[in-house]
Amino acid sequence: MTEITEQNKVSEKFVPKPSLPPPPNTTGAIGWLRYNLFDGFLSSCLTVLSLIAIGFMCVNFYEWAFAKAVLEAANRQECRITPTEFGTCWAGVKFWFTRFIYGRYTDTEIWRVNSAAIILILWMIPVWLPRVTAKLNIALSGVLIFPFLAGYMFLGGDRNWFMEIMVSVALGCFITVIIHSLLCLFTGAGISKWIIQLTGFSNRSERLHKFPVIMFAVIIFLLSLFLISDVAFKEMPNNLWGGLFLTLVISGIGIASALPAGILLALGRRSKMTVIRVLCVAFIELFRSVPLITILFMATTMFPLFLPEGFHINKLASAIVAVCLFAAAYMAEVVRGGLQAIPKGQYEAAEAVGLTYWQSMGFIVMPQALKYMIPNIVSNFMGLFKDTTLVSIIGLYDLLGMINAVSQDPSWIGLHHEPLFTAAVIFFIGCFAMSKYSQYLERNLGAGHGR
Amino acid sequence: MSGNTPSSSRGANAVINDERYRSIFYQVVVFGLFIWAVLSLIENTQINMATRKMAVGFDFLKNTAGFAVAWTPLDYKPSDSYLMVYWVGIINTLILAGISIVLATFLGFIVGILRLSKNWLVAQIASWYVEVLRNTPLLLQIIFWYLGAFANLPRPKQSIEILGFESLVLNNRGLYIPKPQPEDLFWLTALALLVAVLIAIVLNKRATRKQQQTGKYISTLVPTLLLVFGLPLVVFVLTGMPLDWEIPALKGFNYRGGGFVLPAMLAVMVALVVYHSAYAAEMVRAGILSVSKGQTEAASSLGLKQSFVMRLVIIPQAMRAIVPPMISLWMNVVKNSSLAIAIGFPDLVSVFMQTSLNQSGHAVEIVALVMAFYMTVSLTISACLNVYNKKIQLTER
Amino acid sequence: MKKLSLLGLGAGLLAAFSFTAVPAMAESTLEMVKKRGHLRCQVGQPTPGFYNLKADGTWVGSDVSICRAVAAAIFGDPQKVEFQSVSSTVRFTALANGESDMLSRTATWTIFRDTQLGLNFTAVNFYDGQGFMVRKDSGIKSAMELEGATVCVATGTTTELNLTDFSRMNKLDIQPVVFSDNNVRNESYLKGNCDAITNDKSGLAAILAGFPDKEAHIILPETISKEPLAPAVRKGDSQWFDIVRWTVFALISAEELGITQANVDEMRKNPPNPEIARFMGVEKEMNKGLGLSKDWAYNIIKSVGNYGEVYDKYMGFGKEGIGIARKGSPNDLWTRGGLMYSPPFR
Repeated sequence: MTEITEQNKVSEKFVPKPSLPPPPNTTGAIGWLRYNLFDGFLSSCLTVLSLIAIGFMCVNFYEWAFAKAVLEAANRQECRITPTEFGTCWAGVKFWFTRFIYGRYTDTEIWRVNSAAIILILWMIPVWLPRVTAKLNIALSGVLIFPFLAGYMFLGGDRNWFMEIMVSVALGCFITVIIHSLLCLFTGAGISKWIIQLTGFSNRSERLHKFPVIMFAVIIFLLSLFLISDVAFKEMPNNLWGGLFLTLVISGIGIASALPAGILLALGRRSKMTVIRVLCVAFIELFRSVPLITILFMATTMFPLFLPEGFHINKLASAIVAVCLFAAAYMAEVVRGGLQAIPKGQYEAAEAVGLTYWQSMGFIVMPQALKYMIPNIVSNFMGLFKDTTLVSIIGLYDLLGMINAVSQDPSWIGLHHEPLFTAAVIFFIGCFAMSKYSQYLERNLGAGHGR
Repeated sequence: MSGNTPSSSRGANAVINDERYRSIFYQVVVFGLFIWAVLSLIENTQINMATRKMAVGFDFLKNTAGFAVAWTPLDYKPSDSYLMVYWVGIINTLILAGISIVLATFLGFIVGILRLSKNWLVAQIASWYVEVLRNTPLLLQIIFWYLGAFANLPRPKQSIEILGFESLVLNNRGLYIPKPQPEDLFWLTALALLVAVLIAIVLNKRATRKQQQTGKYISTLVPTLLLVFGLPLVVFVLTGMPLDWEIPALKGFNYRGGGFVLPAMLAVMVALVVYHSAYAAEMVRAGILSVSKGQTEAASSLGLKQSFVMRLVIIPQAMRAIVPPMISLWMNVVKNSSLAIAIGFPDLVSVFMQTSLNQSGHAVEIVALVMAFYMTVSLTISACLNVYNKKIQLTER
Repeated sequence: MKKLSLLGLGAGLLAAFSFTAVPAMAESTLEMVKKRGHLRCQVGQPTPGFYNLKADGTWVGSDVSICRAVAAAIFGDPQKVEFQSVSSTVRFTALANGESDMLSRTATWTIFRDTQLGLNFTAVNFYDGQGFMVRKDSGIKSAMELEGATVCVATGTTTELNLTDFSRMNKLDIQPVVFSDNNVRNESYLKGNCDAITNDKSGLAAILAGFPDKEAHIILPETISKEPLAPAVRKGDSQWFDIVRWTVFALISAEELGITQANVDEMRKNPPNPEIARFMGVEKEMNKGLGLSKDWAYNIIKSVGNYGEVYDKYMGFGKEGIGIARKGSPNDLWTRGGLMYSPPFR
C-alpha cells in the first residue's frame, strides 16, 4: 500500500528506464529474414525453393528478352542472330506498335481516337474529386451520352438529324461538366447555384429556380450545335477500327449497356410476376451458361438470319450485341448479389413510407446496393476486357487479331512470340490496375461480402 | 381489360389500382411481346434461309463426317456420322473439364493457404501468381503453355521414361501409358472395390456418430485405407490377376498401342488448372478470412492442435463462403475449355462448331446443339449449387 | 428512367454502328454496290501471298487484287473497296447473308459448296494442291512413307478432309493434329511435334519463308488434292456473277494479249489488233450485258496489272512475293502449258 502511494507521489517526476533492446536476431534485416523467411524447417525449404524458381525464371527471361534482342531491323530476315536462328525481334513490335493500338485507323485521323479518350477521362475525373457535387449525374451522363460523341468521333462521315442532336447534347454535357467541376473545385458551389445567383433568381421563389437552369442548358445546347455545325470528320468505316482501341470500344459498350440491362434483369428475376421472372431467369441462365465464343458464333452466323428482310447488320455490330447480351447476363447476377446484401427492413421501410416500387428501388435500394456492387462491377469489366480477345476468332482485328496479322505479313512472317508477349503485358497492366482499384474500393467501401 | 362494364367509376378505379390485376395485365403484355418476338424471329429466319437457299434440318447429323479426330476415348472412325462427332466432342469436353476442375480446386486450396503463409516470400509469390494469372487472357496463357512448355518436349526417339518405366513415356506426341485390358474375372475386383468403399463410408459415419455421442475421437484413416486398397487387391490376387496391360512401343514414327494423352490436352489442362486455381485461391483466401479471428482463438483456447483448428473449425465454416463461388468457377472451367481449340485439342467447339460446321454448313442447327450442351451442363451444376445452398442454410439456423 | 436510358443507348448503338437498312435481295448486287459507293469484298485472315495486312493498314495480295480489279471495273477506282476479313468458319455464311458482295479468298471450288451453300464460284484464279512438308533429316522422300506419322493441319478447311482421305486411301494411319491458330501450327511442326505439316502448297511455300532455316525442310513431291481457288458470289444474280467472272478473265486475257499496266494506255490509243480493241472497249461494246462502263477492262489493267504481273508481285519472286515458281505449274498461261485460259473477248 505504502509503495503505491509513494509511486503516486513521484509519478510526476517519473522517468521510465529506457527499454531493453530487443533480443538479437529479431530486428533489422536479419530478424526480418528469420521471422519472415526462415521460420522453421518447412518455411526455409519453401524459401529456398521459391528463390530457385525465381532465379530460373529471371535467367531464362533475360536470355530471351535482352540477350537475344534485336532492336533495329526492317524485316524479320534482318532479325537473325545466327544463320539458322532468329533473335528476339523487338524491332517488329516497334514497327507495328501503332497498329496494335489503333488497328487500321488511318494515321492522320488517330488524333480523333486520342481526343475522345481524353474527353472521357476529363469527363470522368470529377467523379473522383471530393469537392465536386452531383457525381451521380456526371457519371450517368458519361456512360449514357458520351457514347454518341465518341461514336461520331470514331466513325465520322455524315450526320443525320438524330446524330446531330445527340452529338451536340453530348458536347453540351461535356462543357457543362467541365465548368461545373471547375466551379466546384474553386468555389465549392455547383453550376446551378451560380446560374441562379448570377441571373438574380436567388431571391425569388424556389419554384422558379429551374427556369434559368433550363435556359442555360438550351444556350449550351445551341452553342454546341453551332460549334459542331462546321465540323466534318472524314468517314472511318468500322472495319478500319482495330487493335486495343477496338477491344476497349467493345468491352466499354458491353459494360455500359450491361449496367442498366443488368439492373432490369436482376429486378425482373426478383419480381413477383411469374412470366417476367421466368423470362428473366431464362435469359440470364441462357447467356451465362454458354461460352462467349459460342455466343459470338451465334451472333455472326445467326443474327443476320434473325433480322427482317432488307436489314443488314455488320460484323462489329453483331459482335457488340453478342458481348452486350453476355455482359448483361453476368451483370444481372452481380446486381442480384448487391440486392441480396440489402437487409429486408430497407424494402419494408420504403414500402411503409408509401413509396412505389420504382421509387423505393431508385431512391432506397439501388443507391445502397450499388455501393456493394462496385468492386464486382470493376472485376466484371476486367473479365469482359480479357474475354473480348475472343472476337479475334470470328475475324475482328482486335489486339490479338492485329498480332496475328503481323506473323502473316511476308516481311515479318512467323513473328508472333514478341507481339504476344507485348499483348500479355498490355493486358496485364490494364487488368492489374483495375484489380488493384477494385481491391481498394472493396477495402474502402467495407463491402467485401458482396457475393 | 376485365373492367369492361364497371358499375361505377369507383369500381373501375379499384380494378385499375389493384395490384393483382395490374400485374396480370403486365404479364399478359410481356408474354404477348415475347411470343410475338419469337414468332417473328422464326419467320424471319425461315424467309432468310429460303431466299438464301440454305438447307435446314437436323437430317445432316446422319451424314458421314469424313474427318479424323486426334484424340478420343470413344471408338470413332472418319466414316462415322456427325452425330457421333457431337458425342465425341461432348465426351472430350467433359473429360477435359472434369479433370481440370478437380485439379484446379486442389491447387487453388494450396495456393490460397500459401497466400496466408507467414513466410513473406511464399506469400508474395503466391499473391503474384494470382495477380499475373488473373490479369492476362486465358487464350494467351493456353498458347504460352503449349508453345512454351509442352511443345518443347523431346521427340519420340528421345522420349523421357517417367520413373524409369519403359512403358510410361513422355514425348512431344503426348504422354503414353499402358492401357489396362481387363480379362474375364476382373469384374470381381471391381465389385470388391465397390464393397470396400461402401463399408468404409459406413465405418466413417459410425466413428463420427460415436464421436458426437461420447466425444471420443477414433481415427479411421488406417482401417479405411486398408479396406479400400487391401480388399480389392486380395480379390485380384485370388482370382489370378485377371488384368493385362497393353504396353506402348516405339514403332515407326511414334509409340503405338497403350493409352495416350495429347500434349495439347496436357497444355490446355495445365492452362485451365493454373488459371482457375488463381481464382480458386482468392475464394479460399476470402473464405478463410471471413471466419472471424475469435473462432481461431476460441479453438486454440480449447486446446485443439493447430492442424485440428484448421480442419475442424476454420475450413468447415469457410466452406460456406467458398462453395457457392467455387461452383460458378467450375461452370467457368467447363465454358473456358472451349478455348482449347486454339492449340488443337478436339473439344466440342473444335470438332463440332468448327470442323463440322465448315463441312456441312448447317450453322443454325450446330450452334443450337452446342448451346444446348453447355446449358445442360451449367443448369446441372447450378441445380447442385442450389441444393447445397439450401443445405447450408438449414444448418445455419 | 432506366428503361428510357436503355432505349436511348439502344438508339445510340443503332445510329453509331449502322444497322444500315439495305434492301438486300430486291435490288441487284451491282445497283446495291453502286449506290453504296464501294464494294464489300471478303478476304480471309491474313495469309501470305493471297491477302496481307501491311503495317500502314492496307491490304495487299493476289486475292486482294481481284477485289481491287472488280472495284476498278465498276467505279474505275481500285480504292473503292471495303475489305472484310472473315475467319474461314463463317466465310460462306457471311457471303450468303449479304454481309459481303463477293468472296475472294482461298476457297476451294467443290460441288458441295457450289450447289448447297447458296453461292457460285466464278472462275479459277489460282490452282493449288495440297502437299506435305517434312524435315530433311527425317529422310522422307515421298508422302507414301508417312505411315503412322503425326501431321499438323489447320482446322475448318478441306485440308483436314483431304488428309483423312489420303490416309484412309493409302492405309497410312496418319494422326492429324488440328490447330485453329496457324502460328501455333507452324511452330508446333518446327518444334517437332508433328512429323509433317500439310497445307496447300502455296501455303507451305509461305510457311517455309518464315522459317529460320529454310534448307532444313523439303516439300514432298506429291500433290494429294485438287484445290482450284476461285472468287465466289451469292447465288441468284447472274449479272453480278458475270462481272466477277469476267474480271478474272480480263486479267488472264490481258496477259495473253500482252497488255500490261505499263503499256495499257498506249494500247488503248493504238490497238494493235481487233481483239485488243474489243478488250479496251474501243471497237465493239462489250459492257452492255455487264452493266459497266465501256472502259471497264482498261480500268482493271490500269489499276492492278494483268494476271502475270499480279502473280509475280505477290506469289512469285517479287519483293513482296512468297516465291512460288509459276513456270510449268497449272497457273501458267495455256499457251505455255498451264491451265490459265480465258474465253475470247468477242
